[in-house]
Amino acid sequence: MKEYLNKNIKEVINLFPEVESILNEYGVGCGSCSVGTCLFKDIIEIHHLSPDEERELMDQIAEEINPDREKRAPSIKRKREAGAAGIKYSPPIQKLVNEHVLIKRLVAMIPRLIIDLDVESEMGRQLVIDSIDFIRSYADKYHHAKEEDILFKYFDENAEIIQVMHEDHRNARAHVKAILEALDDRDQKAVAEHLDAYQALLSEHIKKEDEILYPWMDRDLSDSQIGKLFSQFTGKDEEFGDIPIRSEQFINKLEEKFKLLEEIK
Amino acid sequence: MTEFEGCPGSKMVDFRDEGPQEEATGKVKSQLRQWPIQMHLIAPTAPYYQGADVLLTADCVGYALGGFHPECLKGNSIAIACPKLDEGQDVYVEKIKSWLEDAKINTLTVLIMEVPCCMGLLNLAQQALQSSSRKVPLKAVIVGVQGEIISEEWASA
Repeated sequence: MKEYLNKNIKEVINLFPEVESILNEYGVGCGSCSVGTCLFKDIIEIHHLSPDEERELMDQIAEEINPDREKRAPSIKRKREAGAAGIKYSPPIQKLVNEHVLIKRLVAMIPRLIIDLDVESEMGRQLVIDSIDFIRSYADKYHHAKEEDILFKYFDENAEIIQVMHEDHRNARAHVKAILEALDDRDQKAVAEHLDAYQALLSEHIKKEDEILYPWMDRDLSDSQIGKLFSQFTGKDEEFGDIPIRSEQFINKLEEKFKLLEEIK
Repeated sequence: MTEFEGCPGSKMVDFRDEGPQEEATGKVKSQLRQWPIQMHLIAPTAPYYQGADVLLTADCVGYALGGFHPECLKGNSIAIACPKLDEGQDVYVEKIKSWLEDAKINTLTVLIMEVPCCMGLLNLAQQALQSSSRKVPLKAVIVGVQGEIISEEWASA
C-alpha cells in the first residue's frame, strides 16, 4: 500500500479501477479529473476528511489494492486536524469564490449559446466574440491572473495540485483560441465542440478550487499572509478598474436576452 | 459554586476544583513589543502599528487565555479595551479607523470573551471597518471563561 501513496492518482485508478468509486463515496472526485497527476498521499491530505472518514477510506482502498494481506492502511500525516464541517473562506479567498459565481453564470449559459449558435451571421458571431471577451478579460486576465501571479506564489508551485490548476488554465486558453479560430473559419461544429469542452473543463475546475484547493490553501496560510493576500488582491482590483462591473453587466444582459428568447419560444 | 441571576458578564462562576491544573514549566517570555496598550492611551499611528497584524483584545482575555503571549501576542501589535466598562468608546472607533487608513495595518484580530457584553468590542471594529475607505481582513476569536478558544473565524465588516 505504501508504495502507491507516492504514485499519481490516475495511475492508482488505472491499476485499481474500483478505487475511483471508493474515492467518490467520500466526495473525492479524482476519477473525472482531466489531469490526475496529484499524488495519492497529497489527495488524502488536501481533501481534509475527518480522521474517522480517512481511516475508513484508506482501509477500503488498502483492501482493494491488496485483498489478501493488508487490512490496515498507513495513515497520512496532517498539517492540521480536521475542522468543523462547511466551508468558510478567508476574505481574500472569498473574493475568488465570488468571482467564480460570475464565471459560473456564463458557463451555465454555454449550452444555450451552442443551441443558438450561428457562425454565418454577423450577430451570431458577435455573440460568441462577446462571450469570449468576457472569458478573456474577466475569467482569465482578471481572475486567473490573480491566482497565477499572486495566490499560487504563496505555495510550492511545483506541487502537483498547483500544476494541475496551471494545466487547467492552459487548456482553457487553448479552447478559447480554438473557438476564435473556428469562428473565423465559419466552422460551426468546431466552435460548438470547443465551447462544450470549455464548459466541462471550467465546471470541474471551479468545483476543484472551491471545494478542495481553496480550503486547503486557507488552512495553510497564516493570518499575516491572509492580510497581505487581501491587500494584493485589492491592488489588482484597482488596476482592473471597471472591468468587474462591465463584466457583470454583460452577464446580466446575456441572461436577460436568453430569458426573453425563452419566453418568446 | 455560588451563583446569582443577572448579567452573564458578571455571573459568578467558581471552577477552582475542576480538573488538574497544569503548570507551565520554565519562565514564559513576554511577547509584548510596545507600550502603552490601553485603547485610550495608544497612538494609532505609532510605528509598531504601521503595516502590523493588530490584536484588539478585551481586557479579560489576557487573564483567561493561558497561552496568550506565545499563542496570540507573538509577532503582533496590541491594544486592550473593555467594551462593558470603558467610557468614550466613540474614540475607539476613530482610533481603529486610523489603524486602517493611516497606519495601514495588515490584519485586525478581535479577541473577546464569550460573555455577551464583550461582543461590543467586535461591533466597534466592524463599525470602524464599515466607515473606513481601506479594508483589511477582520478575525474574531471568542475565548471561554475557562480559557478555551470557543471559535476563531474571519468576520464580515
